[in-house]
Amino acid sequence: MVRTALAGKALNRGPVRGATYWPAFSVAAASLLSALPIVSLSGWWPSFGLLTFIAWRMLRADAWPAWWAAPLGLFNDLMTGAPIGMSMALWTAIMLVMDLVDRRTQWRDYWIEWAVASLLIAASAWVEAEVASLNGAPVRSAMAMPAALIEILTFPLAAFVAIRIDRWRLGR
Amino acid sequence: MAAPAGARPGWSRRAQYSLFFGFLAAVAGLIVGLILLGLSIVSPSSYQVVRGVALDVMSPATVALSDVTATAGGLVSGAGNYWDAAEQNAGLKAQNAQMRREIVKANAVLQENRQLKAALRLREERREAVATGRIVGSSFQSPRRFAILSVGTSDGVQIGMPVRAADGLVGRVIDTGSGTSRVLLVSDRANVVPARIMRGGVPVISTGRGDGTVDIRPLEVGRNPFKRGDIIVTSGTGGLYPPLVPVARVIRLDDDGAIGLPLADPSEASFALVEPPYEPAAAADAPLPERR
Repeated sequence: MVRTALAGKALNRGPVRGATYWPAFSVAAASLLSALPIVSLSGWWPSFGLLTFIAWRMLRADAWPAWWAAPLGLFNDLMTGAPIGMSMALWTAIMLVMDLVDRRTQWRDYWIEWAVASLLIAASAWVEAEVASLNGAPVRSAMAMPAALIEILTFPLAAFVAIRIDRWRLGR
Repeated sequence: MAAPAGARPGWSRRAQYSLFFGFLAAVAGLIVGLILLGLSIVSPSSYQVVRGVALDVMSPATVALSDVTATAGGLVSGAGNYWDAAEQNAGLKAQNAQMRREIVKANAVLQENRQLKAALRLREERREAVATGRIVGSSFQSPRRFAILSVGTSDGVQIGMPVRAADGLVGRVIDTGSGTSRVLLVSDRANVVPARIMRGGVPVISTGRGDGTVDIRPLEVGRNPFKRGDIIVTSGTGGLYPPLVPVARVIRLDDDGAIGLPLADPSEASFALVEPPYEPAAAADAPLPERR
């Protein structure tokens, strides 16, 4: 048994350098994906930054200090071309709401996390539509609903990616 | 799995304080975010510089990635073209002959037109494009319809300039970085284009629908003047867009208007021209980039 432990890669594995910063870094990287040369006529692609952000917050309450949400959101606004301040306010609000959810829920499993994430995603889509209509471009619900649905269905993928990054950064 | 116990750092006073001040900072961040959002709704032009810098930060990645996909796409469609080359060849030959006949006709009309204009002493203004760029990206994650264009202030592009492709109108510039700019597409819901039907010249208004199509309404209420297949061209009213640029083709009628498909598809158009505003005064006194 000792020999097998020595032969494997299980020894000398610890957190990678800068393990504290990898969650925030991965959210910023997901925001940067908006630079992909995709020209879409409907805008139904999921918002990668938001999904990664919610996935990390679902996984860990201490992925980053709560106030980091503001600079991360500002970066997302700048990269995606959203009205400046929208993700900043929205993501900070998500951090605060999730603190409440953490206090209130007695039990957590896959389905509850997905349900809470779906509510957060739907609320974000609603805020985004409201801000767009204040900016003179009212969003039809026929356009906003599929986008939110696609985002909800893509969430498990983002959660999976967050879990893999988490394992890698902690060296597990 | 039981729910996480919440952020309770134990008995350490230092940890408790840092958690508490973190919470205060988060609330402050929320308030600052709301203020910035309010400012970007009330006066969007206050962020022009910041947005320009953000565009410049992104532009190397966007332009390089778009080159890669263009090359890959070219390989695929190139192979597809070889597949039925013979049939395509015959079709193109027939088209070529047809075009040649039409060019002769058009040349005759052009010459006649020139003579008539000379007789009327109409001065013809030459409009030259400010810059030529490629559409390298879009706002594929948001309900708004923006595109990223690969030219910026270093090429002479300024906020408010109209953008067109060979097939028709693309939109207008709303943000400029030094090497890239952001374009409000014709299909965005905030983009209103004064236009008219090419057949008959009935004045209409084209508004984006956010899903790649435009909503076209006649200015005068009454009988629905549209027919399927009608071409909508800009009227030049308002002075931003030059007249007679094709905007859309009518694909469906509804009770008092029609739905049109923009003729310049931003995902297909390889080049886009940035032109100076049709009447420079329009860009100066009407703060067009405000509406976004």
